[in-house]
Amino acid sequence: MTFLRRLPKFDFVSPNSIAELCSLTAGASNGELMLFAGGTDAVLQLRRREVTPRCVVGLKGVPELDFIEEQPDGSLAIGAMTTLQSLMKSPAVQGHFDVLAETAGQIGGVELRNVATLGGNIAGALPCADLPPPLMTLDAEVKLSGKDGERWVPIDELFAGYGKTVAAKGEVLTEIRVPKPAARSASVYLKYHDRQSMDMTVVGVGASVELDDEGKGFRDIRLAYANGAPTAFRAKKTEEVLRGNEMSEEALQAVAEAAGKEAVPRANSWRADPQYRLTLIRNLTKRAIRSAWEKAVARGEASS
Amino acid sequence: MNGSITLKLNVNGVLHEVATQPWRTLLEVLRENLVLTGTKRSCGEGQCGTCTVLIDGKAINSCLYLAVEAQGKDISTIEGPVETDPMLEKIQQSFVTKGAIQCGFCTPGMIMATKSLLSENPKPNEDEIRTALVGHLCRCTGYVQIVEAIQDAAVQLEHEGEN
Repeated sequence: MTFLRRLPKFDFVSPNSIAELCSLTAGASNGELMLFAGGTDAVLQLRRREVTPRCVVGLKGVPELDFIEEQPDGSLAIGAMTTLQSLMKSPAVQGHFDVLAETAGQIGGVELRNVATLGGNIAGALPCADLPPPLMTLDAEVKLSGKDGERWVPIDELFAGYGKTVAAKGEVLTEIRVPKPAARSASVYLKYHDRQSMDMTVVGVGASVELDDEGKGFRDIRLAYANGAPTAFRAKKTEEVLRGNEMSEEALQAVAEAAGKEAVPRANSWRADPQYRLTLIRNLTKRAIRSAWEKAVARGEASS
Repeated sequence: MNGSITLKLNVNGVLHEVATQPWRTLLEVLRENLVLTGTKRSCGEGQCGTCTVLIDGKAINSCLYLAVEAQGKDISTIEGPVETDPMLEKIQQSFVTKGAIQCGFCTPGMIMATKSLLSENPKPNEDEIRTALVGHLCRCTGYVQIVEAIQDAAVQLEHEGEN
């Protein structure tokens, strides 16, 4: 009975700073180290022997990775080790970045959110992760830190494949930066799952809309999906169907069809077959856009 | 890799030195090394909530937490001495008087989650209680009584505060 198994044997190290962490990762060969953020997914991977690292690098002891800071330009800087519960409860996030707090609140229960981290949700590079789609629709960037420096990567260019990122050997995801959303804009993330909570996302749709000056059309729109492909992805072709156009039922139908063409759900997933996921994607795309639109309109009315 | 390590764990206000290995979960060390078997093991994947303990006052699944990472933190379990923890005592009493315990397997996790909830939100409504318990399964399905017990505990604790 695999679920009663112990974890495989490993050494454990706990660096105290990003510098120490990067010097550890720099010298390691592939698969030798496992970065252990919250661990809510890592423990399961270890228990199932999907990974058997020589050494687990615990990140909970790196205080400089745990912060949420509003920047002078209105953007939000979030440390990779920020827990989902902190994200959900942070007044700074609940303000302009409410979609991130709402999304975090839809993940697991409080016991899981107290431990699971934003960085872990992203760096695991799983297509079912809920936070990458809303971060993509907010044009977020992530910082990859290594021994020899750091670089910023737009989050919609981070994922290279199922469970894979473009991070080079030794690089660690340390920070997430989210620009301040435009005025007259709003974002939502809708996910379909079997139960109300505690289960995996079958399909998730993130939508950000920015209204035009008349409040009739889309000045901008960004769409991103969980489980719409082997990685989370931004549906740029689909967005073009609506960008600059007016809101209408026909336009929503057209964007739903486009989303169904741009998405390529995995064929080897036991949770749902691709046709079912495509149906969900078409329907949730309309619903997410409509919901973001209504949120943006309500915000405009509240502020005028 | 023999991996022997000595951990200093502060459990229910008592500092324990434990000889263990880095790959042991907090749940395994609590149950097997410290023989604090009130914390239960069921699914082992963070779905059922029976292994819930508090770390620095926050509810976590101890099956997903490495014991080595719990060093230097305050760990509270269902065995937390009620003499020094009146809140834990009141919650336990409410679970008993409201019939919220059937087979009892989910109870330690439910009670620790309740303690965490009431510490943050002393007067939760039913929705907030049910939301706080989404990570807990009771296979006797006695959820109605569990919600009533938590409401009762909240009332009792409020009266306590008035006296």
